Amino acid sequence: MFRLDTAGEGTVRLIGRLDGEEAERALKAFAALEGSIVADCSELDYISSAGIGVILATLQRLTRAGHTFRLHPVQPRVRNVFKYAGLAQMLGIE
Amino acid sequence: MLVRRFPRAVGSLPLLVAFVREFFAERRWDPDQAYDVDLVLEELFTNMVRHARGGTSEIEVGLAAGDGALTLRLRDEGVEPWDPSQAPAPDIGRPLHERRPGGLGLHFIRQLTRDLRFEHVDGTAIVTAVLQAPR
Repeated sequence: MFRLDTAGEGTVRLIGRLDGEEAERALKAFAALEGSIVADCSELDYISSAGIGVILATLQRLTRAGHTFRLHPVQPRVRNVFKYAGLAQMLGIE
Repeated sequence: MLVRRFPRAVGSLPLLVAFVREFFAERRWDPDQAYDVDLVLEELFTNMVRHARGGTSEIEVGLAAGDGALTLRLRDEGVEPWDPSQAPAPDIGRPLHERRPGGLGLHFIRQLTRDLRFEHVDGTAIVTAVLQAPR
């Protein structure tokens, strides 16, 4: 189960598992985000390529609109997946 | 090998996670070490669900451990010959606006497996992936 919670102005929390089953529903939740966003991923336990697709689409959309999208903090195993995908630096994960 | 069949649908993913946890619990392995197995299994399974032509209503998944390795085997009966290993690797160095998510699943699998084999025998696609076993 995946959840996206609003945590304050420009801040959201990603919680649970962002996998192939949750990706479509998650994409709709991310589509409502506007402006520059920092996503707290300390409770994001898992992400697969389907979830990476959601994050990539959101990063591209917000960047095109002149905003930023950063993930911080991120659990080590999830961070590894972003590194494999070549997206860690673009998302401010290091 | 612990073997089970799962409905051909992405809705099976929570069942796959539970299956992996059961396998880990039998060996008293830390479930926190299951991430790589979950990821490789999800990517292989969803590839079959989305891209295999033909097939029965279920996909068989097997897990085995030995000699420091964990082996995943997926069997998909009644499908046309299909070898995703021939797909080009994604270009993860492209600028952001040119990036596409396609191909990342197989890229992740290659990062996490010691060995990866795709076979097609008598109408059955068999994928075998070998990972480092948890310590």
